[in-house]
Amino acid sequence: MQSKFLGWALLAPTLLILALFGVVPFIYVLFVSFHQWNPFGANPDMLFNWAGNYRKLVFDAQFLASLGVTAAFVFFAVLSELVLGYALAQALMRDFPGKAFFRTIHTLPLIMAPIIVGSVWKLMTTPSIGIIPNILSNWLGYDLNIGQSAWQAFATTVIMDIWHWTPLVTLTLIAALVSLPADPFEQAQIDGANRRQIFWHITLPMIRPAILATVFIRMMDAMRTVDEVLMLTGGGPGSATRYVGVHIFKEVFPRTNYGYGSAVSVIVLYLTIVVCWLMYVGLIAPRNKGKG
Amino acid sequence: MDKDRRGFLPIETNWFDRLFISIVLWVALSLFWLRFIEPLGLSIWISVAISVALAIIIVKRG
Amino acid sequence: MRKGNPWLSVLFWVLLSFLTLFPIYWLFVISVKPAIELFSTPSVWLSGDLYWKNYADVLNDRTLRSYMVNSLVISSGNAVLCTTLGFLACYALSRFDLPGKESVFFWTITNRMAPPAVFLLPLFLLMTQVYSIGDFKLADTRIGMILVYCTFNLPFAIWTLRPTLDGIPKELDEAAYVDGASPWNVISEVVFPLARPGLAVTLILTWVFAWNEYLLAATLTNFNARTLTTGLSEYVTTTGTNWGIMAAISVFTLIPALIVFSLVQRHIVAGLTFGAVKG
Repeated sequence: MQSKFLGWALLAPTLLILALFGVVPFIYVLFVSFHQWNPFGANPDMLFNWAGNYRKLVFDAQFLASLGVTAAFVFFAVLSELVLGYALAQALMRDFPGKAFFRTIHTLPLIMAPIIVGSVWKLMTTPSIGIIPNILSNWLGYDLNIGQSAWQAFATTVIMDIWHWTPLVTLTLIAALVSLPADPFEQAQIDGANRRQIFWHITLPMIRPAILATVFIRMMDAMRTVDEVLMLTGGGPGSATRYVGVHIFKEVFPRTNYGYGSAVSVIVLYLTIVVCWLMYVGLIAPRNKGKG
Repeated sequence: MDKDRRGFLPIETNWFDRLFISIVLWVALSLFWLRFIEPLGLSIWISVAISVALAIIIVKRG
Repeated sequence: MRKGNPWLSVLFWVLLSFLTLFPIYWLFVISVKPAIELFSTPSVWLSGDLYWKNYADVLNDRTLRSYMVNSLVISSGNAVLCTTLGFLACYALSRFDLPGKESVFFWTITNRMAPPAVFLLPLFLLMTQVYSIGDFKLADTRIGMILVYCTFNLPFAIWTLRPTLDGIPKELDEAAYVDGASPWNVISEVVFPLARPGLAVTLILTWVFAWNEYLLAATLTNFNARTLTTGLSEYVTTTGTNWGIMAAISVFTLIPALIVFSLVQRHIVAGLTFGAVKG
């Protein structure tokens, strides 16, 4: 087509900014991760220590535990958001009075800052002064204490994430459902297919790309959740909600152990990119290629 | 050089993808080695040698 | 498709709306209570006099007002920058046969994958020590924050705009080129008008993401470019948190986002087509 030069020129500003603020910091983190460096410790100089930080990392029970809870968090949160988001998107495809109004209300959580979401949920769930533990114990006799029960704290962070991000899933799936052609559905109804068959054989394959793209972006964001959880539970109780982002934040800054913190960062980034790359290459890219 | 092609890997790759796959494997093997094999007394350099060999094979033939 | 009873749907959505709105309602409840009442047993309903002093305190606070201006400048600047650059980049990715462009596309997205905590330290060091022109340092400046926010917003813009641009038929560009248009004309007069819904949604979402960002702003700014979300966290102190003021600031944080968001409500579905079936 036109000159390749123009194409690269259009991409250049994007690549330049991402190089300066993404690639250079990454190389720097990588560099630091091979050093022992604690600028506020007894020995403030950078000392090259081979793979020492990584050696420490693979035996760090807290870090490995945080990987585990992050995986569980991402799995439960993204799966529930997908199922709920799809159900709500379908529900919004029908006609009923006030549809646009309800859709707007449903998208409101999306615009809230994660740190605000975290603080509101903290206020709602703090034992004895929060509204939710009060309602639960008065009406149902259920004892919710996210300061003590590990699984309740975990479940609360998942529910908070669902509350916050299901609207995004709903919106993207509505966009996909609206753009579907009507013919295959009419044909299927003429052929006497029932609802379940239509869902599995027509709807699902057709909106598959949208579902994958949504899951992809939600997974990416769920893996890097920090603000909300930091605010709600601070990673506790114990390490029940110490997701990797929270772990890095708590490990690097308060302890100023920059070398080790960088190694943790590198590995977290590595795992995230590998997971995303596998998803992208395995599920998303082949589909796009076919359409070219 | 830049062309996508099909080697023994199950997907079409260009040289950059293959380099990336090699690095991913290198890191994975190194971490595994540090955790489980190095305590047995085998040096980490053995895993580096294996990774480099693997990387050369993947970049050339993958 | 199916015709159920529409009023059942309404009932369902009313109940769901209560759940959706409750945390937002609760934020408001906290913001109109004096600090002392927060530690008594809570009740779902608002009762008694509303305590507006928290709002007055926020409005009278000069520092918070300047934080608000910073937030507005940074998020607007960042949204415009990301949408513009994302649009140009996606045009290049969609129309040019560049070697390795799929790799470029994927590796651009990886910038969003990093937990922000990963980049806090290097960005802090780079911006305070390395990225400077003469005496001008990027740390604690608005322009610095605008650029830093690109690391997560630019990938998002590219990710959402790519299908929009792929969805605009190439034949239109080609026809324009045959008529002797320059690339600039094609981008601004053929592609841009058609991509408008996608651009609007990208603009809004990147704006909201930038407006809501906290961790990077908290680390990379001290005073001059401090944003509203960090101002909020300043009320969480070791001696206790002034939740009332914090909730009041939160409400102020919500309002601009609400206004901006409601402006594009109608277009949002049309614009959010990532991965949607291409016709």
